[in-house]
Amino acid sequence: MLALLVAQNIAFYIIAALMVVGALRVVTCKNLMHAALWLVLVLAGAAAQYILLASEFVAITQVLVYLGAIIVLFLFGIMLTRAKTGTDDDLDNKKSAKFIGGGIAVLLLGLMGYSLIDGFKDTEFGNLMVQRTSQVSDSIFSTYLLPFEVLSILLLAALIGAIVLARRD
Amino acid sequence: MLAQLLTFAWNAPSVDYHALAPEIIVAATIVVLIVLDAFTGERSRWASSSVAGIGLLVALIPIATLAYDGVDRVMFGGGFVVDNYALILQALFLVAGYVVILLSTNYIAEGDYHEGEYYTLLLSSILGMMVMASARDLISIFIALELVSIPAYMLAAWRKRDQKSNEAGLKYYLMGVFASAILLYGMSLIFGITGSTLLVVIGAELGSYVSSQPIITLGIAFVLIGFAFKVSAVPFHQWAPDTYEGAPTPVTSFLAVASKAAGFVAILNVLFIGFYGRHDVWEPLMWVLAALSMTVGNLIALRQTNVVRMLAYSGIAQAGYILAPLAVAGATLGTGGEALRSIVVYLLIYAGMNLGAFAVVLAVSRKTRSGDIKSFGGLFSYAPTLTVCMTIFLFSLAGIPPAAGWFAKLSIFSSLTSAGTASGYILAVIVGLNSVIAFGYYGRLIRVMWMDEAPDGDRTPIKVPASLSFALIITVAVTLVWGVFPGALTHFTDQVNLFSLLR
Repeated sequence: MLALLVAQNIAFYIIAALMVVGALRVVTCKNLMHAALWLVLVLAGAAAQYILLASEFVAITQVLVYLGAIIVLFLFGIMLTRAKTGTDDDLDNKKSAKFIGGGIAVLLLGLMGYSLIDGFKDTEFGNLMVQRTSQVSDSIFSTYLLPFEVLSILLLAALIGAIVLARRD
Repeated sequence: MLAQLLTFAWNAPSVDYHALAPEIIVAATIVVLIVLDAFTGERSRWASSSVAGIGLLVALIPIATLAYDGVDRVMFGGGFVVDNYALILQALFLVAGYVVILLSTNYIAEGDYHEGEYYTLLLSSILGMMVMASARDLISIFIALELVSIPAYMLAAWRKRDQKSNEAGLKYYLMGVFASAILLYGMSLIFGITGSTLLVVIGAELGSYVSSQPIITLGIAFVLIGFAFKVSAVPFHQWAPDTYEGAPTPVTSFLAVASKAAGFVAILNVLFIGFYGRHDVWEPLMWVLAALSMTVGNLIALRQTNVVRMLAYSGIAQAGYILAPLAVAGATLGTGGEALRSIVVYLLIYAGMNLGAFAVVLAVSRKTRSGDIKSFGGLFSYAPTLTVCMTIFLFSLAGIPPAAGWFAKLSIFSSLTSAGTASGYILAVIVGLNSVIAFGYYGRLIRVMWMDEAPDGDRTPIKVPASLSFALIITVAVTLVWGVFPGALTHFTDQVNLFSLLR
């Protein structure tokens, strides 16, 4: 068990370092397109951390939703709004805005870090908190069967309505 | 590892297809509509409205057989319940939806507004309402609410070339999404405290907390505020008048009646099963919402010059009346039951009279092409039948016998006074005062129709299409029969109870 944890810890720090680098590049990058792509690294890192925690379902969801949908939405948004896709020197904020943003970031880090440490203290979760994908799928197709089916009709209706409203006629 | 994965035991849930039959029929109708629209040409577009209407009427058959059966059916671990309460509301949504289809038929066909897709979205929204009536856990309630709302956002913007319709859809969408976010936040807090999404479990957990925890108050308030947006209660009503005015009028009638009723059903579900033990939190909230909604709604309605806007504000005021019994519902199980039944009665009657009023507005605007109150001038001289119908609906909305509205008001009053508390009596007085104010604008429209001259002296009679006349016949019949024989209504609503789940 211990050997596994050492490997996990090393992997955690490598991925965490990559995420921090990616996050910094998102805000310092002069090219909007590249910033969005750096964000991919951050979100993929989060997915990898979930895998390390043995919650593969959350990891897959992270990949599908954030990498698959939200980043694509960002990229489409950038391309469709005719923003500059190349390097843009005006992309940076004013100095005052930088300080306020940085202050808020530090405040959030402190607050969330404190509440995490204060909330969990030395608790070890072991294998208790892991929810297997099979459990998730079991409950989707038994207890939550009806909401699942209703959701599929909701998506169908949303698709049809969006096409009607968006198409040129 | 692989062998272990392949041999896992999975028990298929026992699905009671009889209990789900109404939903399945509506879902099947949606599929038929899509296929029909894809494989038929322009000439057979008229078929979609008939298919949609027939689908809704067929779905009433299993509701009748389930009601005849009379057994409460609990499914999916208590998350979905088919009881008398659910059945009567599902019947309401199906019939209201059918009337909306009758109102839409000519409007949508003549405007050439993508008929097949229109009815698909309308039926999806109705399906969401039907699920809402049976939903007894937070996930089902939230998904049902989204299925009600998302098609409705798009229907509000259905007249694509009209700026007002675009505005209506966008405003409704933004406010709706905002409300959903608040609602979800409240639900996540409640889930965090109780550890369950099942309303029954939430009810037991919340009731067992004796001390008042601020986080419970916050969770309950956020959930109720999220729904208050949906029913357009003051101060969460700003979207309603603009959306109602800009949306196509049949869609407006749908939003004002069916969509609003679905919001109330959601409030009833969470309040009476999930939050009932914490009436110290929600009673004051409901009191304030009810008093504000009726007073503000009525006062602004007095100044409107557009009929649809006037009906929108009148709908806000009516939402206040419907919320009023909830302000005293927590005193005892007896008053709670009475409040629940009076709200169900009000929702049923409100659907009949308000849909009827919109049917007349639609018929008149076919000729006048305007929603101005002045355009109703002299209606009696060239369309006496429509005038009599509208007068019945307005009397009903104002609560004057023999139209059904008086019985709805009476049940609200009796439930408010049955609690015997000062706050109940004060709210009853506010309801009474507001009924008087409301007659100011209902009466003005009646006077314009009967007394004034027709604008421009144009007295060519109005040609009312068959589907619209049928909708008028249904709504007038319902409004008069329930007004003269309230027993025909209470025979069904007396069976309604949500406490059977509480243990």
